[in-house]
Amino acid sequence: MTGYTLVNILGGALILTSMLVVLSKAPRKAAFLYAVQSLVLISLFVVLGMTTGSTELYTWAGTGFVTKVLFVPLAILFVCKKMGDAGAGLEPKLTPVKSIVLIAIEVFVCFVVVQGIDLPTAADVKPALAISLAHFFIGLTCIVTQRNIVKQIFGYCLMENGSHVTLALLAPQAPELVEVGIATDAIFAVVIMAVVAMRIYRTAGTLDADDLMELKG
Amino acid sequence: MTEIIIAIVQALLLMLLAPLVSGTARWMRAKMHTRRGPSILQDYYDIAKLLKRQDVRTQHSSFVFRLMPPLYMGVLLILACGMPMITRACPIPVLGDVITIIYLLALPRFFFALAAVDSSDAYSGVGGIRELIVGVLVEPSMMLALFVAALATGTTNIGAMGEAIGSLSVTSPVAVVVAAAAFALACYVELGKLPYDVAEAEQELQEGPLAEYSGPSLAMAKASLSMKQVIVVSWFIAVFLPFGSATELTIPALALGALVFVVKVAAIFFVCSIVENLVSRVRWKYMSRQTWTIVGVSVLALVFCVLGI
Repeated sequence: MTGYTLVNILGGALILTSMLVVLSKAPRKAAFLYAVQSLVLISLFVVLGMTTGSTELYTWAGTGFVTKVLFVPLAILFVCKKMGDAGAGLEPKLTPVKSIVLIAIEVFVCFVVVQGIDLPTAADVKPALAISLAHFFIGLTCIVTQRNIVKQIFGYCLMENGSHVTLALLAPQAPELVEVGIATDAIFAVVIMAVVAMRIYRTAGTLDADDLMELKG
Repeated sequence: MTEIIIAIVQALLLMLLAPLVSGTARWMRAKMHTRRGPSILQDYYDIAKLLKRQDVRTQHSSFVFRLMPPLYMGVLLILACGMPMITRACPIPVLGDVITIIYLLALPRFFFALAAVDSSDAYSGVGGIRELIVGVLVEPSMMLALFVAALATGTTNIGAMGEAIGSLSVTSPVAVVVAAAAFALACYVELGKLPYDVAEAEQELQEGPLAEYSGPSLAMAKASLSMKQVIVVSWFIAVFLPFGSATELTIPALALGALVFVVKVAAIFFVCSIVENLVSRVRWKYMSRQTWTIVGVSVLALVFCVLGI
């Protein structure tokens, strides 16, 4: 089994975990699943680093571990603790089956799109590239279908994981400076969104995006 | 020749040991309810007692009612001959095709429901139709999951599929794992355990499709139901968990294969018993939601298979 095969398999695991993040109802459970997904992402970086011989990817893995496996889930868990069990009963707008099928279709469409890309670095990792592209749409699906605003934060995080994988696959030698942009982006975005979610809950007493219609013109 | 002996021996052993499996499940259920419960041999006692009783039929029942128990058991014995249990390849390859197995399982189910309606008992008819709904819903999802596995391994023979998966030479492992998850869910429905079980007098007045059966016919039907559970579990093991089964026909390899098979079956039934005791019976209206989930997971597996991972 070559390193690239392993990268593609880990990409498949990424899809499965992100699907579980989308399907899980309680934000607390989603936070743990997101940590698992980030762990898969980190191992993908390590495997890719070993295969391409890029030392930069190990640094990415290290910073990614701190920010994505530890910081982001802990921030969400903190929010959940502050707000008690609020929003756990909010049903998503799609049934689980429809979500699964939608994700499958998104992955398939992305795979078809990726077939048109002809880059020397992407020749062996086309499935993984399709998966990283699909993560953008899975994140979007999460944001659009979830009514709980805390769950919508995970949609953003999934998109962000996808862009991270794309960058690692296409430019494994990119310097750490590029990575700093993405990592800090994730931290600040999640912190700001978490604070906003908490303040919304304090003011409006709900986490349901459908109820937050006061500014609608 | 050895293969044929293995086939016959495993079919006979299945018939003899299946009541032990269902008896153990009953015993475990009692333990989880903190009841003393029956002995694990209770199903043998039941069958022995039923065999001594007179076989009574309702006045308006036809030949279907009489035909169902022997047909059910016969089909299961045929299936047991072709199922790779202790060996990795099918003992009788012609019986090891996925499509053949699915249709062979559909045949007794059809007669089971038909006999329930034929017994001219209103309650039993309702129970039979419930069984048929389960079948109609679960079979397509089961097929989808298995077709993904067939695409990934390039064959529809379950022995060859098990060979490809057991030697870890499949090109799309993620697809196989996801298909295995979908097939496991479908198999659980097919097992006829709670929440999808055959309604029995245990919990409610309605006695289910077997209400009008008595004596040896009932014994045969009961034994067949527990045989079916073992067959379905060994089907799953043959395709997706073939690790440890005998790849060559020598005595030590076969002995090891038999031991590993028993351990795997015991482990799976243990998990099933726990699940069974955590849930209540599902209303037939909501059953389709769960089977649609299986279809969704199978579609995802298909996409992974197309991606080649």
